[in-house]
Amino acid sequence: MSEMLKNNDVEIMLKDIGMVYQADGKDVTALTNVSIDIHKGEFISLLGPSGCGKTTLLRIIADLLHPTSGEILVGGSTPKEARLKQRYGIVFQSAVLYDWRTVKKNVMLPLEIMHVKKEERVKRAMKMLELVGLTDFADSYPRQLSGGMQQRVGIARALAIKPEILLMDEPFSALDEFTREKLHEDLLRIWRKTNKTIVFVTHNIQESVFLSDRICVLSPHPGRLSAVIDVDLPRPRTAELKNTREFTELVAKVRNSFEGV
Amino acid sequence: MYRLKRIVTSKLFVTLIWILGLIIIWEVCASVVESTKRTPENILPHLSGIVDSIFSDRKVNGSQTAFQMVLDNAGATLSRAGIGFLIGTLCGFVLALLMNLSGIAEKIAFPYLMLIQMIPILGMAPIINAITGDIAKSRIIIAAILTFYPVATNTLAGFKSVEREKHELMYSYAANKLQIYIKTLIPSCIPYFFTGLKISAPMAITASILVDTLQGGIGLGCLLSQSLKGAMTRYVFWQIVFFSAFIGIMSFCLMGIIEKALTPYKNNRKTRKRV
Repeated sequence: MSEMLKNNDVEIMLKDIGMVYQADGKDVTALTNVSIDIHKGEFISLLGPSGCGKTTLLRIIADLLHPTSGEILVGGSTPKEARLKQRYGIVFQSAVLYDWRTVKKNVMLPLEIMHVKKEERVKRAMKMLELVGLTDFADSYPRQLSGGMQQRVGIARALAIKPEILLMDEPFSALDEFTREKLHEDLLRIWRKTNKTIVFVTHNIQESVFLSDRICVLSPHPGRLSAVIDVDLPRPRTAELKNTREFTELVAKVRNSFEGV
Repeated sequence: MYRLKRIVTSKLFVTLIWILGLIIIWEVCASVVESTKRTPENILPHLSGIVDSIFSDRKVNGSQTAFQMVLDNAGATLSRAGIGFLIGTLCGFVLALLMNLSGIAEKIAFPYLMLIQMIPILGMAPIINAITGDIAKSRIIIAAILTFYPVATNTLAGFKSVEREKHELMYSYAANKLQIYIKTLIPSCIPYFFTGLKISAPMAITASILVDTLQGGIGLGCLLSQSLKGAMTRYVFWQIVFFSAFIGIMSFCLMGIIEKALTPYKNNRKTRKRV
């Protein structure tokens, strides 16, 4: 009985995922034998150095890539079905905003594609902007915003379609340390409020420890899952947490779990 | 000191210096040519003479002053260049769309595009004239052909410049092809499209004038070739040259103005970047 409950709880099931692609006529293994169960409402990080296949894995979940072996189920269906049901919100490393649209209209873009009624579009966009703290900038153009604010718009846009899963590909790596810390806290607040499942790709150990429930440590050549580490630090978390011994110990533990880097 | 620097580097000041420099060079050259006196009528007149001729009310062909005549012919040339330009722009844009939609279309069309571009207009003009059998039509078509290439290639480059992430976003929203084009690709290519227009607008006018010189009828080029053959004064000749250059520049500026009006997000300096 408890086993069944646990299974129902799984949002994304990755089983023996392998990814081999061709480069210069040779087979390159990007991922091999990756199995992870990601639970509903979980904040999970895919952590690793470049070349470990963490982004590849995220793109497989997002249906942007197809694994060459293994099985993946998202809420019981294929990634493609999940994508067509608009269950994914994606945030990239850069905000990828549309220059010619105001902040509000950027957030409304996915809703336009989904044929949501205009009234509802505006309402939802404004709600999302409130969530990320950008209400005052609804009518600004992206180029008038700082990098951190642009990334907030990106997050608001991803959330606007009410996805169950938020896929984030190194979203804060281009930001300065101060902005990043602020956005970490904001992201945790948004996550708590919206109950999304978040898959967060990063190469920053501290970031992954601070944010996640669980960290999947990926090692390169070939990309593989070398450890899964539970982060049992109390929530809600604030920046002060980073000064505690528990935090630094976990960071050390994660660092030691890498193989062959 | 700072203020002086700002004035010196301002756009208006630089432009004024430019114009002044050109006038000085012109006048020096005119004086030199005048002193050599190799031709009975000085081919390089002083600027004042040209300006005088614009405002003189001496009738040159019975009913019109020189400047009225230039304006009349310019109107004919401009309207042909304009119609050709519009047709070429439309065709160029549609072709860019087709080439972007289908790789095969791109592979097939591109060599022809290059080829058309490499044939000199002067070689093309008689052929097209023979095909259409109408001088005015052939001039429109030539203006269109010249417009077509820069618009098509630049627009295509615009489509291709869209970041991979934007395509992926659209993919994740499960957007259809039409939505992808309307929401992402077409707005993205507007700056590129206008780069094409800025290149081709003056070209359409120049080509139109050039083709005029081959055939008779009304048009700035016809007038130009007549004045070159000595049917009119050198002042008329220079009036045409200056006026042609002027409308060429104006056509370029017009494209810039339209672009600015269509892309307000690009020149919004009211609010500075905030952190």
